Amino acid sequence: MREKYNEKLEKILCAVQKPARYTGNELNSVHKEKTADTVSFAFAFPDLYEIGMSHLGMKILYHMLNERPDTVCERVFAPWTDMEKLMQDNDIPLLTLESHTPVREFDIVGFTLQYEMSYSNVINMLALSRIPLRARERGDSDPFVCVGGPCAYNCEPLADIIDFAVLGEGEEVNGELIDAYKEWRAEETPTRESYLEKIARIEGVYVPSFYDVEYNADNTVRSITPNRDCAPTKIRKRIIGDLDSVFFPEKLIVPFMDIVHDRIMLEIFRGCIRGCRFCQAGYIYRPVREKSVDRLCEIAANSIAATGYEEMSISSLSTSDYTRLGELVDGLLDITEEKRINLSLPSLRVDNFSMELMEKVQKVKKSGLTFAPEAGTQRLRDVINKNVREEDLVRTAGIAFGGGYNHIKLYFMIGLPTETYDDVAGINDLARKVVDVYYTLPKEQRKRGVSITVSTSSFVPKPFTPFQWEPQDRMETLVDKQKFLKEKITTKTISYNWHQSEVSFLEAVFAKGDRRLGEVLISAYKNGCKFDGWNEYFSYEKWMAAFKENNIDPEFYAYRKIPYDEVLPWEHIDVGVTKKFLIKEHEKAMKGVTTPSCREKCAGCGAASFERGVCFE
Amino acid sequence: MSKYRIKFSKTGMGKFISHLDLLRAFNRTVTRAGLPVRYTQGFNPHQIMTFALPLSVGTESVTEFVDIDFEDGTDFDEILNGLNENFPQDLHAVSVSEPVYKAKDIFAAEYNVSIGADFGEYGKKVSDFFAQNEYMILKKSKKGEKEVNLMDFIYEAELLKESADRVDMRLVLAAGGEKNIKPDLVLGSLESSLKPLKFNSVYVCRTNIFCKIQEKVENFC
Repeated sequence: MREKYNEKLEKILCAVQKPARYTGNELNSVHKEKTADTVSFAFAFPDLYEIGMSHLGMKILYHMLNERPDTVCERVFAPWTDMEKLMQDNDIPLLTLESHTPVREFDIVGFTLQYEMSYSNVINMLALSRIPLRARERGDSDPFVCVGGPCAYNCEPLADIIDFAVLGEGEEVNGELIDAYKEWRAEETPTRESYLEKIARIEGVYVPSFYDVEYNADNTVRSITPNRDCAPTKIRKRIIGDLDSVFFPEKLIVPFMDIVHDRIMLEIFRGCIRGCRFCQAGYIYRPVREKSVDRLCEIAANSIAATGYEEMSISSLSTSDYTRLGELVDGLLDITEEKRINLSLPSLRVDNFSMELMEKVQKVKKSGLTFAPEAGTQRLRDVINKNVREEDLVRTAGIAFGGGYNHIKLYFMIGLPTETYDDVAGINDLARKVVDVYYTLPKEQRKRGVSITVSTSSFVPKPFTPFQWEPQDRMETLVDKQKFLKEKITTKTISYNWHQSEVSFLEAVFAKGDRRLGEVLISAYKNGCKFDGWNEYFSYEKWMAAFKENNIDPEFYAYRKIPYDEVLPWEHIDVGVTKKFLIKEHEKAMKGVTTPSCREKCAGCGAASFERGVCFE
Repeated sequence: MSKYRIKFSKTGMGKFISHLDLLRAFNRTVTRAGLPVRYTQGFNPHQIMTFALPLSVGTESVTEFVDIDFEDGTDFDEILNGLNENFPQDLHAVSVSEPVYKAKDIFAAEYNVSIGADFGEYGKKVSDFFAQNEYMILKKSKKGEKEVNLMDFIYEAELLKESADRVDMRLVLAAGGEKNIKPDLVLGSLESSLKPLKFNSVYVCRTNIFCKIQEKVENFC
């Protein structure tokens, strides 16, 4: 079987762009024999190789599963359209990278859901694998299809498509799923249902078909009820208690081709102490847990030795919130400078950005600086709880320009709850102030040619945030605000880019969607939707046709202000943060009252129930 | 002496590694091996490394050359073993030596070619194709497309084996800075001249690189 595909594959690889996307065989990739005793897991990333290979979570779980002698984990990515066409013309199903085995021959196929706009690729990849699209259509010879990652917390739009979802951090629970699979396979009469019943008892595992959803006449959810004993009323996410002792791969795969983040990613902590009210990551990954400086230096040194990478980047939601950052950077520079490795520190906050830190990193290589004030006025920044003040940004810009930087990127959001046109104009005002900082410096202290890039994304209300009840701005309004800002920006020093509002609208629909959207996804796939994150493939018309075919009004999901007492489609999912807390935060937002970070004062969000991390520092 | 010439092979799936990706793979292999490589001066230092002749994606090779600068006195075996212990699958160092010829003296490369197709009667036409004096094609270069005589770029074409479904050949083609042709272009022209015959599979492997020194042909080394 395998040989057959190898030859066919080789032939078509000569005709595609960037064949290295499909060849596998990279350094540190793991090649193991699938046998009757092993459990095989196809780890699927629903986007291109160069995107998926940049994702740290995949690397962790891939190597972790392959550490087990009883498990074979192989990777699969979405083929680009040229490859897809050749696969179809030559009757080749979707194959894994390592052994070029059909995905369908694996025991479990796991998709990581990083963004809503990859859902069409999930469906397309199932179809290319020749796996029945709906869970209920799958039989004994089909794999189990599961999902994980941030979008899995509300994976209701995929509820009829997947067999199960894994909520939270996967290092422990994935192993438990493999153990359960082996036990189940050894049973006298293993059925698909009996495996699902077995794993539904594992904390963090969600089997959508074990829950009945009823709706009210106005289309809102009436109830979500487990339909068997093994299914808990609430499914609680999993976290790793001790990040120092948990598995972390050091022999990372080193791709041949240039990928988006082609470097060592050093994860310094999980979670975020800040609680920006629009940010889902700030809530679903609570509580904050750090790795120690010693462990991080150990990982860094071993990763460099095993990969030969020339660059290492610190990875977290907010680098400057690491409690011993100075010490960490010193320790890392000791390792990296000698080996000519470029160390980068993304996700710095403007309120605690220091000259000292910047100089340290600058010793190696100067890269651009990006800051995210998120909103143009202090009023709106208070609403969203982005505790950054204008003077912080001005001070930071001064440090940066004085230190030889001449380009700063500023990220904002438009369409935030309570936003007025004054707030939008404030984006331009703030960018102007940053430009002014540059010109107040004496000429000999600044590098020639200042440029500021302002980028706005459109606010997308997300589940498990205080803004989950908020409507999104209508597309016309977003476009109008973008136009308004574009006209406000009159200097050539500031350049402005913005996001397509149709994409943001669909993100809101699927982020907050319920399981009735599953059929829309299938229709969209049939209409040819794929690679929606790519401008050249995104087709709003095809999506709208898919909604229409299923008699579903997408605006219902994105534009409705939801009352607190309404049953949310994700009501049965427990991320640790309580609804009570989210309501309190929402009320404070409407009053423009901020909430201090976890380290300043515990706000009682509920994550302390995990009994770990920052809650107990 | 600090320049070392490494002969290496790039086979199997390795044929899909592009030139730029290959350079990166070498950089990282040298780093992992901890070999005493020399870096360029300046703000963005990089390892001093030059490949003799680019290889098209999809073509295997058992005779590739790269020159790398190492600290004076680095042992040949240390380099050879360091690379082979740290290479990704599909790359293999064959030998390390002092460079003899210059890359600019390269003028030709030899390829082994194996074409799978339902040749039937067409097998003979393959030899006929290479026996022509003139076969005009459009050749792309940096300056744009130009019509050239393909036969001027083919120095030798030897039929090694012929059967109903496979033709094996040895080709010596123009290569190097002055005059160069990719084997894909030659085989693509062959295929279109044999229409409606379609190739089912094409396997190409570079087996030698030649340079010309005072009109004498030498194996590049």
